[in-house]
Amino acid sequence: MCRSVTVGLSAVILCLTAAASGCTSMGVEPWERDVLAKEEMQLTTDPVEAGIDDHIYFSKEASSGGRGFGGGGCGCN
Amino acid sequence: MRAGDPRKPQLRRTAGYYQGEFQAMGSPCEVLVDTTDEKLARKLLQLVAAEAWRIEDKFSRYRAGNVVSTINESNGMPVTVDDETASLLDYAATLYELSEHRFDITSGVLRKVWVFDGSDRVPGAESIRQIMDSIGWHRVSWQRPRLRLQRGMQIDLGGIGKEYAVDRAAARISPVASCPCLINFGGDLVATGDVRLPDGWQVGIEAPDQEGAAQKLISLRSGALATSGDSRRFLLKDGIRYSHILNPLTGWPIEGAPDSVTVAADTCTQAGTLTTLAMLNGPEAEAFLQSQNVKYWCLRTPRARP
Amino acid sequence: MSKQNSRSIAASLATAACSLLGTSTVSPVQAQEEPGWDFNTALLYYGESDGRVQDFSLNVLANRAFVDDRILSLGLTVDSLTGATPSGALPFDGPQTFTRPSGKAVYTTSANEIPLDDSFLDTRVALTAGWAQPFARLYTFNAGVSASKEYDYVHIGGNAGLSRDFNKRNTTLSLGLAYAQDSLNPEGGTPVPLSPMLDVGDLSNRIGDQDKDVVDVVLGLTQVVNRNLLFQFNYSLSQSSGYLNDPFKFLSLVDPVSGDPVGHTPAPGVSGPSHEYRFESRPDERTKHSVYGQAKYYMSGKVLDLSYRYMTDDWEIDSHTLDARYRWPFGDKRYLEPHVRWYTQTAADFYRISLVDGAAPLEFASADYRLGEFDAITVGMKYGWKTRSDNEMSVRLEYYMQDGTAPSDQIIGNQAGRELYPDLDAIIAQFSYRF
Repeated sequence: MCRSVTVGLSAVILCLTAAASGCTSMGVEPWERDVLAKEEMQLTTDPVEAGIDDHIYFSKEASSGGRGFGGGGCGCN
Repeated sequence: MRAGDPRKPQLRRTAGYYQGEFQAMGSPCEVLVDTTDEKLARKLLQLVAAEAWRIEDKFSRYRAGNVVSTINESNGMPVTVDDETASLLDYAATLYELSEHRFDITSGVLRKVWVFDGSDRVPGAESIRQIMDSIGWHRVSWQRPRLRLQRGMQIDLGGIGKEYAVDRAAARISPVASCPCLINFGGDLVATGDVRLPDGWQVGIEAPDQEGAAQKLISLRSGALATSGDSRRFLLKDGIRYSHILNPLTGWPIEGAPDSVTVAADTCTQAGTLTTLAMLNGPEAEAFLQSQNVKYWCLRTPRARP
Repeated sequence: MSKQNSRSIAASLATAACSLLGTSTVSPVQAQEEPGWDFNTALLYYGESDGRVQDFSLNVLANRAFVDDRILSLGLTVDSLTGATPSGALPFDGPQTFTRPSGKAVYTTSANEIPLDDSFLDTRVALTAGWAQPFARLYTFNAGVSASKEYDYVHIGGNAGLSRDFNKRNTTLSLGLAYAQDSLNPEGGTPVPLSPMLDVGDLSNRIGDQDKDVVDVVLGLTQVVNRNLLFQFNYSLSQSSGYLNDPFKFLSLVDPVSGDPVGHTPAPGVSGPSHEYRFESRPDERTKHSVYGQAKYYMSGKVLDLSYRYMTDDWEIDSHTLDARYRWPFGDKRYLEPHVRWYTQTAADFYRISLVDGAAPLEFASADYRLGEFDAITVGMKYGWKTRSDNEMSVRLEYYMQDGTAPSDQIIGNQAGRELYPDLDAIIAQFSYRF
């Protein structure tokens, strides 16, 4: 288990570094944010619905979190 | 100030500050002064009112004998203008280019055929076409300080005059007092002085269909706000609503513009110009303002489709 | 004012206004909408088929903006749960009697039916409060607390996060930490792991309240690619420790040859279980890692939202989740949004469909279907519209289905041919209103 933990972490850090250095060529100027500013282009368009879904799947599956924190806080059956 | 002026400013003490009121440029004007010093408040009010009336007298197209009527009655002859007028004309020329010819101070003659009184009197296409011949800044020869209009053309600085007056009035009072002041000429306003209130001045934007009811409240700590759009100025015929924003390239109203656009900027002149440019973008008004990276508030009322 | 040169307008205007007014001592504008509350509410019905869990819930999230983009958010959820849930016991061709979790009574399930524990009925109230504020131009700080209470479960938690913008705010790196402490206090006490289900009134295998702690770390990267596309990548680590069992789940003790449950005779004059059952036992530590990627793509009005998550943990559960939503507007006030989600997971290494009588004792075992191997699919549709006053309403209907597989090497004798894995079908219906 320990081995895969280390591999997982370093792979992610590698990804992040690569993305961060590659991203200077990406992006838009401030005046090109008209589309990105739209409500439907936000990463979480409906926080309440996202919370409901996280709660349902947390209660019914062995995985949780990913988008945000792992959720929980219930003895859901 | 002229003695016995019917436009005499009124000053009164309200909740914690002085409020001065007067009429200028066809609008109710006010100055709010956050001070306990009544003499100071009265002095600032007089400075602001004097500046508003000076600009109105000088640039209103309704005043005989001022620079604008001299230009409009020049009959094709060149007119040499003073520095202030020249700077306004330079600004108008810049706007004409920036707006791809949609902001045009020679388009005021369209008002001869378009009267936005809420009625259904939409002018005929022929009368509009005739008047288009005397519209277009490109027909004007402007070499500071000499301006020559073609015969039959007119200029109208109404599109920038009120906001310009707000900024000018602010410039008059800043050297005199540092207490917080709000100068409001018919909805175009600027906050000057030190910011004392934590949230600044509270400014309400009227809901388009509910006169007097503020739909949005904006707190202004410094800088300016200008609003364009007026739900009372339109024509309605055969279910089509004609807004009072005219496109000088066609002679017809802009379609699909918001009911009102409010923009925040460092100066009232900038804010006012941006609201006009946004309106000229019609349905793309919000996208235009978004692309300019400015703070704005657009109001649209849902309307039944014809 | 075409798109190409629109960039220059505001800047050119500032220069022009400056030369018109001849002043350079203008103070920069500070204006913002007078802060107010906005509310995000939803009513939810979640219902599983065959009389299993039903949940009605009311959700309210209220946000208030303050000067300088500081935001307070307060959330409230009230759930009302009823119904039955698989206990972990195997079905067989005779009725089975179980002692209720409280230890005060028994209930019986009929032959060839997956035994469900119908004793649960609960109301859950959850509260959250959060605060977010930008500072030092490129940073945003956020912090929050959460608490929830059920009849036999209490949760309290706190979280904090920091994010920084780079590259003209096209790149955002964020780090979040959360800590939660939950305590379980089921009626009658929590059962000792692997202890047998006892007769009514016998609580000798019960221990007091139990706790668990969960620490979460999330590392995130958001990247704007162009005007129409942005990505989000997260790595999360979640570490749980303490009592990680479900105190209501147990396993059947079965005959090594027939695979049928081993019988139990309650003490004279007392009612009790008809067969031998053992309460589940999970490790008291769990470390989960997950990577999550999301893309949002705008295609002339339509928005595609794709996400993928891979999770792996030291219980040997691996899972993949793919989620796709497509927002399809018609007119400027309405939209339809179809949604598809696909999920698959492998079983925990201690997942057992039953315990074998006489076999070497196991340290860990659970028959909880949520720790088994299964696939799940959600399909749904949402319809949203704007009201006359510019508020947003939406309705959503989704169907969720789990299809599990019992490990074939664990199937003994008569168990073959029986329904060993409780499949799940559920309906999610939701009405939302934002104002």
